[in-house]
Amino acid sequence: MATASEDMKILILATLSGGYAGADAVGQLHASYAPNTYILPVVCPAMFPEDFYLRVFERGIDAVLVMYSGTDCPYKGGAERTAQLINKVYPLMTERGIDTRRLRLVAICTVCTSAFMREVAQMNQTLAEIGPVRNELAAAVAAQASLSSDEVGQP
Amino acid sequence: MPEPRSNGDVRIGVYVCYCGGNISDVVDCEQVAAALRTLPNVVVARTDMSMCSDAGQALIETDILEHGINRVVVGACAPSLHERTFRNTIARAGLDAGLNPYLYHHVGLREQVSWVHQGNPQKATEKAIRLMMAGIAKARMLEPLEPTVLDAEQHALVIGGGVAGLRAAWDIARRGIRVTLIEKSPFLGGHMAQLETTFPAGEDARAALGDLIDQVVAHPLVTVHTRAELTGVSGYVGNFQAQITQQSRGVSQGFTHFAEAAEVCPVEVPDEFDYGMTTRKAIYRAYPGAYPDLPAIDWAHCDACGKCLSVNGTGLDLENKPATFDLNVGAFVVATGFRPYEPRRGEYGYDEHPEVITLPQMIRLLALAGDGPDLLWNGRTVKNVALIHCVGSREIPGVHEPQPDGQVNDYCSRVCCTATLHLATELRERYPHLNIFDIHEDIRTYGRGHEDIYTEAAANRVGFLRFHGDERPDVLPAPDGDSSPLLVRVKDYLTWGEELDVPADLVVLATGILPSPVDDIISLLKISAGTDRFLLEVHPKLQPVETAVPGVVLAGTAQGPMNIQEASAAASAAAAKVAVLLGQGSVKLEPFVARVNHALCDGSGECVAVCAYEDAITLQTVSDNGQTAQKAVVTPANCVGCGVCVSACPNHAIDVQGWTLAQYDAMLDALAAPLPVLESAT
Repeated sequence: MATASEDMKILILATLSGGYAGADAVGQLHASYAPNTYILPVVCPAMFPEDFYLRVFERGIDAVLVMYSGTDCPYKGGAERTAQLINKVYPLMTERGIDTRRLRLVAICTVCTSAFMREVAQMNQTLAEIGPVRNELAAAVAAQASLSSDEVGQP
Repeated sequence: MPEPRSNGDVRIGVYVCYCGGNISDVVDCEQVAAALRTLPNVVVARTDMSMCSDAGQALIETDILEHGINRVVVGACAPSLHERTFRNTIARAGLDAGLNPYLYHHVGLREQVSWVHQGNPQKATEKAIRLMMAGIAKARMLEPLEPTVLDAEQHALVIGGGVAGLRAAWDIARRGIRVTLIEKSPFLGGHMAQLETTFPAGEDARAALGDLIDQVVAHPLVTVHTRAELTGVSGYVGNFQAQITQQSRGVSQGFTHFAEAAEVCPVEVPDEFDYGMTTRKAIYRAYPGAYPDLPAIDWAHCDACGKCLSVNGTGLDLENKPATFDLNVGAFVVATGFRPYEPRRGEYGYDEHPEVITLPQMIRLLALAGDGPDLLWNGRTVKNVALIHCVGSREIPGVHEPQPDGQVNDYCSRVCCTATLHLATELRERYPHLNIFDIHEDIRTYGRGHEDIYTEAAANRVGFLRFHGDERPDVLPAPDGDSSPLLVRVKDYLTWGEELDVPADLVVLATGILPSPVDDIISLLKISAGTDRFLLEVHPKLQPVETAVPGVVLAGTAQGPMNIQEASAAASAAAAKVAVLLGQGSVKLEPFVARVNHALCDGSGECVAVCAYEDAITLQTVSDNGQTAQKAVVTPANCVGCGVCVSACPNHAIDVQGWTLAQYDAMLDALAAPLPVLESAT
């Protein structure tokens, strides 16, 4: 069932040379997007190990948009490394019962205002569909507890 | 610089800017400040109409002096605008109390809050509080950082001897910094030497270029090496070791029999200066007046038959003996230029019909044509010329055939529209009886004075036809009996989509601009290229000629399509950057580089394996408490602070200073936390 997404939080990790400047460009247009978005500047998201994203979700932040510079990344190997890391996060999310649609890697340039707005809107649409991450985390805990009690009950 | 007064006792000053109403019209800044005042370590939380004003900055300085503030968080406009302003503010706050400027965090509340959530002030205010809470969480963990200061060799290496490289060399030398300019080909000048006139003023291109070359080569601080390439690089900004490899010229001073030697040389090859429309010998000069004033031997084609020696061998050596030498330089200017797009066989009939040529070829054809009343091509008088725009530019993925390397050139090459119309006007002036058809998708005469060229062409009876990008014209053989050998079939949207057949004795393809193939330089300097293959700057507006590698700047068309005026401006900007960097004899680098915690490092070398920057991080034997072990060691001058090593370390032993994972975790905690409860709300 659809849920209102406005009370759910979207973390946007935005590169200084791409997404962060792109977000500033959206502001300069005085365009409007949902306020449940929290933008943190990053030099290059290749610095974040896989467990960083898990910690984000464990804190109850419902979605992460990694707005990197894509092939325009000024750092050698930064874009490729970021993509590799994000790809490694997805199976870890699945293991923990976290919907992988909560994490998206998107290339946003300094003037990619439409793309920025679209990604935020789409993620909110996804959140409205799948609900808060705490539900998934709670379900995973409950499933684990059930599994443990089954094991204890075995002769 | 004095250390903060009490590192252990974190005392944070928080400032929320009204930005003259830009923020406060939407965000309740007073509520934000009130909420933040309740947080641990926050000593003061204030608002001001304009924090960047003298009065606003004085507020911070006073709090540092009177309240012992040792961390500062400002919520205001974008950090790109005023982060540096406030860093300077806290650094100068009184002689004794001045803080380390990196004990500062800036939160963007205007572009990323008030300007995008105007319809929801309550949510905007809550968001502002959370973002400021995250900033405060990071500020609690900030440490004093010191820039890396390195001695700088006051010597720049300019790669490329076209107009951008020459301009950059001249501007750097005029600021008192030594310059070595290397050019891969035997002659200076680049593509500008192949032009007769330049737009918009119609200046003599080679005369202007010649003046620039004369100035550069006469300057006592400039050394020029032709036939020279960069083949090795080590070191870091201020202190690079550049290895240069130079091919022999084959001809030295004292050789005076060029005409006779060329006469007897049996080797004849297409002359690249005229885009293959003429031939030259294996001993050649690019053009009369070329610098250096010496011919060169074309080693790829000379078979060392020795006939030139038989004329007069003084000053000739028919053995190529490449020489390698090293230079110690403080910075690089990459001015490697462009190459014109060459259409593939069959594209608009190119290489199938001899009457189809490119715009650069046409420019050379006019240069060679002489003063006759008729334009001749392959012995025929040309009566109808069709000029087709956007060849190799503005291609549409999925519609147009990719290049052999899989690339679809979807960008606009920018200079070809004006160059084509400039050509049309020249054709009209020289051959008044010609029929000239300009067949375009769009016309982008964007520069100052360029629109006049369009207007002039239109007034000069140039016929304009317009096609759509996905319905490009066809160049076809004309039916038997037609007076022109070709026709251009175009669906013309200036006549509401009518299909027209334009007769053509000559079809000129306005070919686009491709970057020079410089994979070797990209690899040596560790710089990046975009998907369009042009070299990438850090930021198109904020750092428009700087690469992510400190000490490497870009000049001219290596970075994207530009006309001569723009390439010269970019080169001057690059020169200014080099002058600022090297002018003091030392360079100061931002401290946002990797740092290794040796207590956690087990010397696995994972960080070294993923780092793309030479010697930025290496494994070294380190002594600690009487024990030696292999540990990762960062060379700050080589590190760009990308953080790739951070995620690779299995022991979380590496961080980027100023952007640590712990700081991000603290910010996440703050974003996830409930909003502070205000007294007024209880």
